[in-house]
Amino acid sequence: MPGSEWFEVEPDLLLGHDATIALVVDRFANAGKPLAFPERLFLVADHFAPPSSVDRANVLRRFLDFVEEHGIGASAGGTFEMMRGICHQLLVESPRCVPGSIVVGADSHTTMAGALGAFATGMGSTDILAVLQTGTTHLRTPTSDKIVMRGSLADHVRGKDLALWMMKTYGEGGAGWKALEFEDQTSGRPIPMDGRLTLTNMAVDCGAVNGIWVPDELTKAFYESNGGEWPKGVDLAPDRDAVYDAVHSVDVGALAPQIAIPYSPANVEDIDDVSGERVHQVFIGSCAGGRLEEIRDAAMLLHGQRVSPYLKLVVTPASQAVYRAAMEAGWLTSLIDAGAVITNPSCGACGGIDKGLLAAGEVCVSTSNRNFRGRMGDSTARVYLASGLTAAAAALTGRITDPREVMP
Amino acid sequence: MISGRAVVFGDDINTDMLHPSYFFSLDTTTVRKGFMGELASVDDREEDLPRVIVAGKNFGCGSSRETTMTALKMAGVRAVVAESFGRIFFRNAMCLGVAARTAPSVTGIADPGDVLKVEGDRLTNERTGRSIALHALDPYWSAVLEAGGLIPYLTETGAI
Repeated sequence: MPGSEWFEVEPDLLLGHDATIALVVDRFANAGKPLAFPERLFLVADHFAPPSSVDRANVLRRFLDFVEEHGIGASAGGTFEMMRGICHQLLVESPRCVPGSIVVGADSHTTMAGALGAFATGMGSTDILAVLQTGTTHLRTPTSDKIVMRGSLADHVRGKDLALWMMKTYGEGGAGWKALEFEDQTSGRPIPMDGRLTLTNMAVDCGAVNGIWVPDELTKAFYESNGGEWPKGVDLAPDRDAVYDAVHSVDVGALAPQIAIPYSPANVEDIDDVSGERVHQVFIGSCAGGRLEEIRDAAMLLHGQRVSPYLKLVVTPASQAVYRAAMEAGWLTSLIDAGAVITNPSCGACGGIDKGLLAAGEVCVSTSNRNFRGRMGDSTARVYLASGLTAAAAALTGRITDPREVMP
Repeated sequence: MISGRAVVFGDDINTDMLHPSYFFSLDTTTVRKGFMGELASVDDREEDLPRVIVAGKNFGCGSSRETTMTALKMAGVRAVVAESFGRIFFRNAMCLGVAARTAPSVTGIADPGDVLKVEGDRLTNERTGRSIALHALDPYWSAVLEAGGLIPYLTETGAI
């Protein structure tokens, strides 16, 4: 359109889940039009699967009827998964998360797929309805900031600490509508993929339209281990003359464990500023923090020990692949023996969806991405966001604890 | 022209506050009940009446759940004027035909309950007579809003 900054884009993949896709099913049916590109759909029942109330069972039913009617994951192509994990995690475990591609999703944390070098961004249901019908959407070219990781990764620093540092740097809206580009320029061992995923996941929580890692050898190895064929002849590096509004750098060797204080994911401090508060629950899960890195850290700290008396430790793996790998490594056994409950892979307590909701006045340390008032239960509950390592330290002591004090 | 009773907020009002996730439902009565769930300052939340929200930075950040916007619309919200928006909230509002407009330092223009009017690129407080200029809308979003939302726009333009 003349004079407009917004232009039509044909996404390579549309990510959707039971909750937000269910909202458009009736409107889609009433329009009586076919799906523009069923083969590009990646649809996952994760929020309400299996459902915990009749209302949610009805949401899931509407989604499943839609998926079945259109043959998604079967005759029509595309991907359909149910009860195998959180949509964002399943996408990055799949070769369909193609580096350099454009992904739109009916969920804000769609940004996570940018860890593989895709442009990935979230939208609401009506926007997604339009993509289902037309195969296109409107975007504009964002301005970019760059965040460079430097130094040598310290033993206690996780991707979540870097993500919380990012939240502190920007505030909740400071990266508003921008692209955030991340690059690993550390010496020694690279920032692990699990941690990179946490950063792109939370890019939306400081307002970014997308977060994207400059692909490197680790990205390639990860993608190939998922059965992907690395795109040939596609330049995935930033332009040499790329212009950034701002360039930040963080020393990954010098960062203290970070923690977000209620009720904002950007209200972040070094952990020693808040250590000591009594904790009633620890939640290890969500698309931001339910991966092997968090489960391994928790198992490492809690192996052969018991969680603090009266404390609830809820562990919700982000996917069945994570669940199975943690099981095979013996980490789930360590956690169960320590007193944890392992729930089915799903969004779980994040978003107040399923098991692990908080009572009035309770304090929780969570590896998830949002600690807004009321998000995980009662509106007077207080949620602190931290790495799996810091969360496990709290589970062990019953108080907010610097993990360096209890690491073996 | 749009007019409505002012609802006034500060910065970083997220969608979990505007509409807690446990009101996410296919049942519109449940969705409507969640309007302004965690925001004690809105004391007329039960009423459906024309409303104009004014807010600070990053209004509507957080979840993409469109039920937030549906609840706002059901309770009568006709326009939201903020210093800036969470991206997805902006898109959700415009896609459902609710004007999401930006202007600098807008929260000072009204007390809760004042009648606000949005006409063209101006926001006016009917009680005080004070008026401020809104940033112009991009032509694409202006056309979407003019049509009454994204689906009517795509229908009018023959895309669907």
